[in-house]
Amino acid sequence: MTAITAPGLAGPATAARPRIGREWTLALPLAAFFAVFFVTPLLLLVAVSLYADAEMTRFGLDQYIRFFGDTFNLAVLGSTLLLGVKVTALTLLFGYPLAWLYTRSGPRMQSALILVIILPLLTSVVVRTFAWIVILGRDGIVNNLLLSLGLAETPLRLLYTEGGLVAALVQVQMPLMVLPLITTLSRLDPNLLDASAALGAGPWRGFLKVTLPLSLPGIVAGCLLTYAASVTAFITQSLVGGGQMLFMPQYIYQQTITLHNWPFAAAISIVFMVSVMGVVMLFNLLGRASKGYVHA
Amino acid sequence: MTLDRRQILAAGLTLGAMSLFPGMSWAQARKLVFATFTGSWEEAHRDVIVPHFRKATGNADIALDPMLSVDMIAKVSAAKANPPIDVMLMDPGPRLSVIGQDLAAPFPVADSKNYQDLLPVAQLPEGPGIFFQAVGITYNPEKVKTPPTSWDDLWKPEYKGRVGITNMNSTLGTAFMVELAKTRGGGENDIEPAFAALKELQPNLGAVAPNPGALATLFQQGQIDISPGNFNAIQILRARGVPVEFAKPKTGTIAFLTTAHITKNSPNAKLAAALIESAMAPEVQTKLMQAPFYVIPTNSKVRMDGDIARMIAKDQEELKASFVFHDWSVINQNRAGWIERFNKEIKV
Repeated sequence: MTAITAPGLAGPATAARPRIGREWTLALPLAAFFAVFFVTPLLLLVAVSLYADAEMTRFGLDQYIRFFGDTFNLAVLGSTLLLGVKVTALTLLFGYPLAWLYTRSGPRMQSALILVIILPLLTSVVVRTFAWIVILGRDGIVNNLLLSLGLAETPLRLLYTEGGLVAALVQVQMPLMVLPLITTLSRLDPNLLDASAALGAGPWRGFLKVTLPLSLPGIVAGCLLTYAASVTAFITQSLVGGGQMLFMPQYIYQQTITLHNWPFAAAISIVFMVSVMGVVMLFNLLGRASKGYVHA
Repeated sequence: MTLDRRQILAAGLTLGAMSLFPGMSWAQARKLVFATFTGSWEEAHRDVIVPHFRKATGNADIALDPMLSVDMIAKVSAAKANPPIDVMLMDPGPRLSVIGQDLAAPFPVADSKNYQDLLPVAQLPEGPGIFFQAVGITYNPEKVKTPPTSWDDLWKPEYKGRVGITNMNSTLGTAFMVELAKTRGGGENDIEPAFAALKELQPNLGAVAPNPGALATLFQQGQIDISPGNFNAIQILRARGVPVEFAKPKTGTIAFLTTAHITKNSPNAKLAAALIESAMAPEVQTKLMQAPFYVIPTNSKVRMDGDIARMIAKDQEELKASFVFHDWSVINQNRAGWIERFNKEIKV
């Protein structure tokens, strides 16, 4: 190891050459931290999931067989993954114009917008979720408005419904979508749009052929963050979703804390993790494909 | 004197580690950790039990760590040899898991001054009952004009969309289902009637709350007007000016004991016993019974008064007559299956 570094330090002439020196040792503290606090617990989780019974006496794949053998479990997994898709799609739909507006605004408007965008991040997720209970309740803002406008005769059920949950999650996760979008869109060269206009493209065509493809990396990053955050949003899911809508995070909580069935909880945690990783990899593939598209 | 980067780094890391793991700095046993319940329970225990305990033990060091019974079990069973908690509070279901998993040390009954004065039902050597919790019908008196008298009132058509329940994750939700089964010909071993009844209740259901705390919030929001509810949760809401009342069903108030346990392998077992002794003392329980805590006493020497006498029982005789206890040893055996069924069948 010491032999390698010596010539590298000889003079500025070699500085430009990529070196394999001792720099990697800089990463050791973080690597050790990850090994102790991330990899080890994960391996423990896998080990616990391989116990066949709740008392943890024998090994076997029983927990996984139990999970995949019951359509109810698959439905819970499916509805959780689908919830993430719905939330991500809506956040993108609302977030994209917002990010676009930001990049097109003057500095004063920009600082106002960034405050609005970041503000939710500065409030605790519990507080934001409780605010949604107030908004969606029987006596809440939405219902009162509908009743006073005569659009509904009796209060609508909004709280503890999937629609309400999606709305709340979209608001809660919005900054995670908008911030990466702003980063990509601000880096976009405005001359490109002018050029496309000069070549005869209308605003929509310009958007579809130039802006959208070039902002794909931001879209992918935003979708990744929003998706991962919304499928695992335990607090919002349980407080706005209620006690009878079951998603994976509550299912894991129920099995561990209420029923002490740690092996089953570990098994469904791993199934959930692998599924979310699968979706994330799909997004990543999309991102990689988009890069090829942009450079073509 | 010169300090090089290495020395500064080492010193910094040591300081950081010491603040991350304060236990390293002190070799002796830590202070007594009392895992109490969250919310107003913690306040009650901090204000009444802790001062009494300090006086009795010559200012022994104590820390309160509020959490749910099930969380206490998770923490203690994850570190059996060196538990982070010395005194645990248990609802009846979790209590049996604690005993079953051998996580509690027996209470030294022979050395206790107050144990013999507890009501017989609270005299449990594995961990005595230090207060009762009561579940009855809670309702908003501004919206529900005739005070309910029976569980059957929840099925009245005029409460369409205004009834709240919790799912079976909580003691409250499970106790309600068992009581429902009992009033309709079933019981701890036959939950079928309760599920059938719940299906009939569906048009009335306005909310299935994920936990009792969320259920209480729903009264505040006007989302629901009537529900099964815990007496103490109602008192907290009343104190905040929420219009909500507690009614005893004619078939009896569902009651369960909250027991206090010394954690097995606790380095502070003596102090833990002293804390439980304080919690059983008649003067402590008398204070806890009054506003703003309204904790139902288990010590027979406590004279019932105030809201407890008015809304729960005027004396221990009435308490015995009006309280319904469930057999949690049977419930625990069936509970996982019930929860699974509830997950699948109950949709609003």
